[in-house]
Amino acid sequence: MIDMGEVSLLLIIPLVTAVLCWKINIRIGEKLQIVTALLNVFVGLFIANNVFFHAPITGWHRLIYIDALSAFNVMLIVLIGFVASLYSVGYMHHEVAENIIDAHKVRHYYLWFHLFLGTMLAVSVVNNLGFLWVGIELTTLVSALLVAFYRKGTSLEAAWKYLIMGSVGIAFALLGIIFLYLSGMDLFGESADSLNWTVLHQAAKQLNPQWTLIAFIFVLVGFGTKAGLAPMHFWLPDAHSQAPSPVSAVLSGVLLNTALYGIFRIYTIVNTTLDGKAAPYLIFFGLLSIAITVPFMLVQHDLKRMLAYSSVEHIGIITLGVGIGGALGLYGAVLHMFHHSMAKSLLFFTAGNINQKYHSKRMDRISGVIKAMPITGSIFLIAAFAITGTPPFNIFVSEFTIMRAGFQSGHLVATVLFLLFVVLIFSGMMYYVVRMAFGEAPAKLEKKEIDRWSTIALFLPLIAVVVFGLYVPPFFQEIIQQVAFVLQGGKS
Amino acid sequence: MEQWIAMLLLISAIWLLQIRKISDSVPILAFQSFVLALTAGAMWYETKLSHLLIAALLTLVVKAMIIPAILHYTIKKIDVHRQVERVTSKYTSLLMAIILTVAGFYVTSRLHLPSTKFGEPYLPVSITLVFLGAFIMIDHKKALMQGIGLITIENGLFLVAQSISYGMPMMVELGIFFDMLVTVVIIGILSLRIHSTFESLNIEKMSNLKG
Repeated sequence: MIDMGEVSLLLIIPLVTAVLCWKINIRIGEKLQIVTALLNVFVGLFIANNVFFHAPITGWHRLIYIDALSAFNVMLIVLIGFVASLYSVGYMHHEVAENIIDAHKVRHYYLWFHLFLGTMLAVSVVNNLGFLWVGIELTTLVSALLVAFYRKGTSLEAAWKYLIMGSVGIAFALLGIIFLYLSGMDLFGESADSLNWTVLHQAAKQLNPQWTLIAFIFVLVGFGTKAGLAPMHFWLPDAHSQAPSPVSAVLSGVLLNTALYGIFRIYTIVNTTLDGKAAPYLIFFGLLSIAITVPFMLVQHDLKRMLAYSSVEHIGIITLGVGIGGALGLYGAVLHMFHHSMAKSLLFFTAGNINQKYHSKRMDRISGVIKAMPITGSIFLIAAFAITGTPPFNIFVSEFTIMRAGFQSGHLVATVLFLLFVVLIFSGMMYYVVRMAFGEAPAKLEKKEIDRWSTIALFLPLIAVVVFGLYVPPFFQEIIQQVAFVLQGGKS
Repeated sequence: MEQWIAMLLLISAIWLLQIRKISDSVPILAFQSFVLALTAGAMWYETKLSHLLIAALLTLVVKAMIIPAILHYTIKKIDVHRQVERVTSKYTSLLMAIILTVAGFYVTSRLHLPSTKFGEPYLPVSITLVFLGAFIMIDHKKALMQGIGLITIENGLFLVAQSISYGMPMMVELGIFFDMLVTVVIIGILSLRIHSTFESLNIEKMSNLKG
């Protein structure tokens, strides 16, 4: 049995790192934040390991509750967080060298960046749905400052849109949580525990079905705004394209998952109460999100915007997978969460390198990436093949699993549409990617990588993208199955 | 008595749609939050539930004093005499506000929300506040006014929770207050940056990101 020491460590490390980076010399600070981020990977994986192979963790008067779903999200946050902090060092060196940002602004970047990671970790480990809401709102507030980091007109526009849309959306989610509180009030009375996920989950069958349905719709729209589900996704391409690239990677790779985590937590309660009647909503919003990206993908001219739209698509796929449900559908959805995080953050890292090399995000000004930067260029091509679901890479496995689940459970129309959209998106995206990757690089471009830090960082997600496409280790299958089991509403 | 307090809340929200200078919004918002603190205080007086007293005091300090102070500071840094700009005319916005109020009362009567004994009179107004807050965000073109609309929505939600169940659990309520405070600080920071970059707070100037 694990005591709360490790959990406090998990939450305190990002906080301390943030403050230290802000206060001490940045030369030391930037190295230090890599070390602490790595330390948090160990703490996070240690906790996750305990949860997956022993028992869920609970403590601090049941304020903290970590089951397989939470541990899975913690695992993703610490891993992507570490890679992003590694990448940030090289990225920021280059931005400072190019005089795009002042050297003394960099510590503000690390301050907000690590606070951002900390808030997401907090969201994943709390038991009380009220605190979950508070945490998700905090992630918006902190990351809005990161989106506005460049202080240009466009980044301010994106940050403002993000802040306002995110806050209004999340206000709806609060209304949903109030209704959920209401639905259990006849059972529990007015006690602080009655917003605890564990309590609501145990009593799910006895909750008032009318209120839980209304609560779920509000939560789906509210947190769905944060997760980038269509038609509430309008802030997403702006924010993801304007933020510094390592932040885009974290936004796409884990923030969207964290918002989905909020939806799924409540979904597991509500779906039990409503006896499966909540699933069609997820299928609808999931499919809509995939469909809406098709036209935007075909006419895109900005590299990072294209990647952002691809995130809308993949969040749609995960939501669709959970909506289809069943052991197989949920397995595919959870697997897809992991694979998307890895592949998309990898793409944003490479896009950041390309961006800094060509001084442009416009895809028609980028060509010959493989010649200009052999490592980044090849990894970019691999990651792009992976994200569009090409075998033998990882996303193919999870998309295929979801499709199989869809056919097996009789969601024929939804699955065929899904297949069609994925093919269209593949052709749209590959058209641009191939043109960027191959061809002649502009003559005046120096043939060299941006920075060794931002090149090293590419390899960890790359391993996941390549290896998990060919072979899913048994321990990893076990983990995914446990998370899927929690999503199914089972006791873990 | 409760009806009169509820009316004051309604008037404050509609008033926010009718102001001429941005700086006028701050005292109105402070007034709205003050009345909100009054409602929580009145419920405490009737029920003697201690967490209602804490909620009332926090509303008074955080929402009626600190938040207006931050907003006032921000507006002073920008320009106190700046006029508001609206999408609709003053009279259309008044008409819309009345329609939304009627809609709010109608929706509440149809929803059959359970409510507490002393919170019931505030329920229709609380839902209406959420509607009006959303309309303030849509109608006003100045970035800062969107923040004001957001706070009005939050005030409405606070009152919904109060009238349905005498508020959320105390710890959660504290967390929400903290979030509100941080939100307002960040709205302030971003407004200042927007103003210095665009020389204006008009959100129509910010439309470079498309597709």
